[in-house]
Amino acid sequence: MKKRMSLLLAIMLMAILVLAACGGGQTAEQPNQGDTQTEQTPPAEGEGKETEPPAEGQDESQGYFEAEDPSANPANALARKDTLIVGMTAPKGVFNPFYWQTAYDRYVVDAIFDSFFSLNGDGTYNNRLAESVEVSEDKLKYTFKLKQGVTYSNGEPVTVKDYAFAMKVLHDKSYDGQSDILSVNVKGGKEYYDGKTDEISGIKVIDDHTVEIEVTEANAMTKDNLGTVFFVPESYYGKDYKHGNLEYMKDLHSKPIGSGQYVLKSYSPGQEVVLEANPNYFLGAPKIKNVIYKTTTDETKLAMFQSGEIDMDMVSVSEDNVEAVKLMGFLDYNMFPYNGYGYVALNHKDPKFQDQKVRQALLYGLNRAEIVEIIYGPYANVINIPQSSESWAYTNEGIEPYEFDMEKAKQLLDEAGWVPGADGIREKDGKKFEIHFSATADNPVIDALIPIMTKNYQDLGIKLTAETLDFNAIMDKKDKGEFEMFFAAWGLTPDPDSTVYITDGQQNDLGYSNPEYDAAMKKGLNAFDLEERKAAYAEAYRILNQDVPDLPIYQRRDMWAINSRLKGIDITPYKNFAIDLYKAEIEQ
Amino acid sequence: MKQYIIRRLLQIIPTLIGISIIIFAISSLVPGDYITAVNNPTMTAEKAAQLREIYGLDKPPVERYLTWVGNMIKGNLGDSLVHKQPVTTVMNNYVWNSFFVAIFSLIFSWIIATFAGVFSAKFQYSLFDKIVTLLIFLCMSLPSFFIGLLLIKFFALDLGWFPVGGMKTSGLNGSTWDQLIDIAWHMFLPVMVLTMLSTGSLTRYFRTSMLEVIRQDYIRTARAKGLKERTVIFKHALRNAMLPAITLIGFELPSLFGGAIILEKIFIWPGVGQVYLESINMRDYPFMLGFTVFISVLTLVGNLLSDVLYGAADPRIRLK
Repeated sequence: MKKRMSLLLAIMLMAILVLAACGGGQTAEQPNQGDTQTEQTPPAEGEGKETEPPAEGQDESQGYFEAEDPSANPANALARKDTLIVGMTAPKGVFNPFYWQTAYDRYVVDAIFDSFFSLNGDGTYNNRLAESVEVSEDKLKYTFKLKQGVTYSNGEPVTVKDYAFAMKVLHDKSYDGQSDILSVNVKGGKEYYDGKTDEISGIKVIDDHTVEIEVTEANAMTKDNLGTVFFVPESYYGKDYKHGNLEYMKDLHSKPIGSGQYVLKSYSPGQEVVLEANPNYFLGAPKIKNVIYKTTTDETKLAMFQSGEIDMDMVSVSEDNVEAVKLMGFLDYNMFPYNGYGYVALNHKDPKFQDQKVRQALLYGLNRAEIVEIIYGPYANVINIPQSSESWAYTNEGIEPYEFDMEKAKQLLDEAGWVPGADGIREKDGKKFEIHFSATADNPVIDALIPIMTKNYQDLGIKLTAETLDFNAIMDKKDKGEFEMFFAAWGLTPDPDSTVYITDGQQNDLGYSNPEYDAAMKKGLNAFDLEERKAAYAEAYRILNQDVPDLPIYQRRDMWAINSRLKGIDITPYKNFAIDLYKAEIEQ
Repeated sequence: MKQYIIRRLLQIIPTLIGISIIIFAISSLVPGDYITAVNNPTMTAEKAAQLREIYGLDKPPVERYLTWVGNMIKGNLGDSLVHKQPVTTVMNNYVWNSFFVAIFSLIFSWIIATFAGVFSAKFQYSLFDKIVTLLIFLCMSLPSFFIGLLLIKFFALDLGWFPVGGMKTSGLNGSTWDQLIDIAWHMFLPVMVLTMLSTGSLTRYFRTSMLEVIRQDYIRTARAKGLKERTVIFKHALRNAMLPAITLIGFELPSLFGGAIILEKIFIWPGVGQVYLESINMRDYPFMLGFTVFISVLTLVGNLLSDVLYGAADPRIRLK
């Protein structure tokens, strides 16, 4: 009996091995989960100004790459002459321009609704519904003129009264969406929020096509913030509106009516969103009649490309995935720097991190190039300032690259008074240099970062211990300031204004403070001239670069794979595909 | 009997109160809330405070618990923070998709397990028994994501017989009948994997209980009085062997509605499992708590159901 059992076991083991071998090919399709956990944030609503994108060199890791063999296109895809299928994570069904929260709901909103402005590829804005915009001398009054003859998909005309209504919704006390209109300082907005008045005094509807908005305080982003409020028909969304009660609005989330390129035809939760072209769209009827947003997952999206079930999708960038996309032959791919960056946070309330020399030493003594190479291969680069290389505010003038230099790091630590003790661990005032790292579970970045960091810092004479926690638990520790080091990633907005490093800033989790930096950032926000802003932010980044408030690690790439029979799909780090979807077409 | 059922139903109430306290306590002890989970880089402190006030997250846990339970008694589970819809609507949107996969897989696995169990017991230690045992252990021990991806590779990509994932073909505008066929076609692989996973333990269960019954005196008597072997096995033996299985039916109830997280992810099946998992990650407490309570109720009812059924089927058991 015993013998039989072992025979049985042996057979089973062999069978499993055979099966496992068959599954080997599948590993290429196991995409890198990436740091999705830390980057759940949808791309924030865009606010930006004119820019020139920096010239791109002959870079393998970014640009638009044409398919090598369009003839390999699967029959399934070729058979779809008037339908585009976009793969994505399932939208949540909040197709409401005031309440959307995920990037995927935003894709639906962008296809169905319009605002005065729409986003350009470089993060600036141009007029969409706006005919013209006038800004007063003191920058406190903004007069928007609406284009004539635009209608909603239910046939009603678009007027600026709808804009005024949208502003009321955003200012309502019961509004629980993510937009923060109060920070725009519209005159009378706070009073409306508090329920003291029933009209917002700063918004004057002059006629059906002209509205004048007055703000109490302006900055470089005010105009764009005002111009990106979506138009919705008041007769539909405002039918049951009572000041202070937006409860009814949730019933309308899955039944949107807008003036945009597409109209929602059907929505099956977790499966698909079916859109149909709006033939009366004021910029011209969309060239693709049907667009379907179909739910995909990382595990199977490449398989769905291959079987022709989807035409385009965002594929997480790893060497394996890029190779797989290239091999299929019929896919174009558009690769660009992700609008954000990964960093290691340091707690500035901790005395050992308060010394600039120590922070510099930690950066010099960490082999960031090796870490980035392991996680993303060629598809990410080491960064030295917290800004995207695509942004107009980006600079590398006078920026120290902090190349890996153990000697320099040791020297800096010596200068800071941390000297090696008997066991090789550095000490100062009788305290050993030990760092506790709070690591997120199941994160490939952490898996690559921790071993190298431990090794590098050990060579420096610093003891690093890592503790694995749930992402939310780390965020909670972060809010309470009970951490020494953790890894996270920030998403960036098109505008460089940010509170991440400002003294007592809302997102300043580090407890970092530097009055010079604060002054430079303030100058950047309050200047209205782009060159002036550029100079201010360059100054701010130079200060950060020297002061090392945290350890900047990498900026990675994003990639959209697009079936080669599609033309005119416009995607950049700032602009999603849905914004100008009406221009795209299917090559017959 | 009637009295018994009423008494058991009444007993459910304190159990549910206990469950609600425990899950609420766990959820409020877990660090982070919806606002931190959204992790919006542009949100100001004032905005975060406003949102917490609207969601009631700024109140002490006891007050929040009482509000939640109070609303639940009135049949209001609150609004999901992620979906911005009532929790019941969200559940209704996804639960049925999970249910259909689960019910078909339940039917298939019970049919297969019954036959496989009966025959392996009848021909114990035969070649058939060994092959069945091998296959069963193989299916049971392979992780679902592995079988899932393997089947996708063979049947969807190489052979092209089944779709890679999803529940229906995008852009298909056929008659109701065509659409049903389309859904069945999409359902095949997920149902197959789920059946493969659950058949194993059931077969072992049936085999053991059949082996026990088949050796009893009354079976020998049945054979001795010249009954056909088929009648002996399927009429006399199987009935008694199935008795313990009734208990299992009750336990299956919550899993019918609970969804299968990994499977749903691989086959992009729009089931409730993924939504539930996401609600935990996003700290969407109204949905998370609501769904947990829903599953707890099903578990308790399932327990009651199996007790009652057992009493009805087995005259040796007397319910008091």
